[in-house]
Amino acid sequence: MTAVEQARNGFEHEALFYRGEDDFLAGLLPFVREGLDRDEVVVVAEPRARLELLRDALGDDAAAVEFLDMSDIGQNPARIIGVWDRLLQQQTAAGRRLRGVGEPAFVGRREAEFTECRLHELLLNTAFDGGPSWRLLCPYDEAHLPPSVVRAALHTHPLAGTTAERRTSPRYSPGDLDELFGAELPRPPDAVVRGIHGPADVPATRRTVAEYARAVELPEETVEVLALAASELATNSIRHGGGTGTFAMWTTGSAVLVEFSDAGRVEDPLTGRRTPSLEQEGGRGIYLVNQLCDLVQLRSSDRGTTVRLTTWR
Amino acid sequence: MTSCAPLVTVRQAAYREWVRAHGELTEVLEAGTSDHICWVYGEDDASFDRAVRRFLAGGLDRGERVLCIGERVLESIRTDGDGFSGAEALVESGALRTTTTAEAYAAAGAFAAGEQLGFYTAATQEALAHGYTGLRVVADVSPLATDPVVRQELVRWEHIADDYIDEGAGFTAMCAYSAALPDESLADVATVHPLLHVPAAPPFQVFIDEDRIALSGSVDTFSAGRLARVLASSPIGSDGAVLDLGRVEFVDVAASRVIACWAQELEARSLPLEVRGASPLLRRMWQVLGLGEVTAVRFAA
Repeated sequence: MTAVEQARNGFEHEALFYRGEDDFLAGLLPFVREGLDRDEVVVVAEPRARLELLRDALGDDAAAVEFLDMSDIGQNPARIIGVWDRLLQQQTAAGRRLRGVGEPAFVGRREAEFTECRLHELLLNTAFDGGPSWRLLCPYDEAHLPPSVVRAALHTHPLAGTTAERRTSPRYSPGDLDELFGAELPRPPDAVVRGIHGPADVPATRRTVAEYARAVELPEETVEVLALAASELATNSIRHGGGTGTFAMWTTGSAVLVEFSDAGRVEDPLTGRRTPSLEQEGGRGIYLVNQLCDLVQLRSSDRGTTVRLTTWR
Repeated sequence: MTSCAPLVTVRQAAYREWVRAHGELTEVLEAGTSDHICWVYGEDDASFDRAVRRFLAGGLDRGERVLCIGERVLESIRTDGDGFSGAEALVESGALRTTTTAEAYAAAGAFAAGEQLGFYTAATQEALAHGYTGLRVVADVSPLATDPVVRQELVRWEHIADDYIDEGAGFTAMCAYSAALPDESLADVATVHPLLHVPAAPPFQVFIDEDRIALSGSVDTFSAGRLARVLASSPIGSDGAVLDLGRVEFVDVAASRVIACWAQELEARSLPLEVRGASPLLRRMWQVLGLGEVTAVRFAA
């Protein structure tokens, strides 16, 4: 029995490195068709162009496959685990096995997004190891992605290979999670507006953030989202982060950033990634923020907790 | 005063021509038909005396009977002015009735919203039967706001009273509270009045506007508990409730959950809830948090 076959039980999280469209199809078509042959529920989350490519190549088989636009569900990579988690729960309840394809780290993403993709890939193992058996194949465009992104995939996937060969990844290092989740985010490059908030300052904080967002000419809809996010994150700092928090706001050429920090520690790096149960008391704020914002970066260690919200413009 | 225009009118062109006057006021200008004012008075507060006299004078001009409850209110009408004069003659004619807070509330035993409604309904009907056009009350209810248990019942009563006032049965009121009360207590009671004269406006208001329960202002985690308490005591008809969010500035996750939990409780009593004027962001939040799976709320424009 090979190492790969031994891994068949439980969650199989596998990176697939491909070069070009033909190679992509050569890897994906057998994976999808094998799933359909075994009566598994096959869900493919890819950016739109890749979805079209695969759909056309699948022909009649495409009708049995669920397609999700990764640039939508995975725009903020912290949303993706919630999607897989929901699908897995549904299919497990229905007595069917799930087989997924997910390409979160697609070509054209920004550096901060790739960083979050790496954290997301590591957290997939945390989220699904030890749970129901299912397979998730993560294609990586070896020819066009930054080499560091391709290298990172070897560290985040227990299985990694090419269309020619599946194998276990010798460089798989789930321990990277603590380091990455506890890391400091890159410092703001330029002028920053800072504030401090205590228990009585939540309304003022959301107004300040809204005013800043308006001043940098974000659309009103986004202003409202940021005010809501500010309220939830400032409230978290007061409730769970030692009673006070700070915020910082700045802009870059391509984005508006708002960041909340406090002295508290988020113990579970999956916080805010799974859909909160209806009875659950906490964890809703960060989950909501993950759903509404373009990019959310949560970092926590014994030095404290930071949530950075990026709005692309 | 000959005009009977409301104190304040707020234009809400987006979805309705006029809404019931609500918000903060600096002084009483005219007496309207659905006045329900929360007035917080300080020590030696001449503006309160003025407001009481104007409020009563406006009512008398409209042919209403007026009722003054509480020593502090009685003090205000000892002096003539602001259109008001001759308290003694008014008492004699029956147009003015006065009582102390102790007489008004202690006699009834435990304070209960239902009994209050019964009392004021009867008193309003009596005034109408005596040829008056309505009953206008100024009551200092500060003593009832000190005890936390009584205060909850008081908030319930104020909220039910607002419904009765909004019905247009002829009953109007100015509820006076001492500024010496704790901020939380003042915010609790102020919240359920459409018109406020308070040192610090509460973050949100809940008042009755025709068949709707109208929410205005901002509700977040820190005030969501108060919203839950107010909604739990909201007067609901047998065909369900309409919650109007058209004047809401902000609601967070906790506030949305309060509304969902309330809807769930109504549903358990077979009372449907319709939510009007919810912002696109609230509706998105509702969907993201799966609140629609908890309870069936009908969203309308």
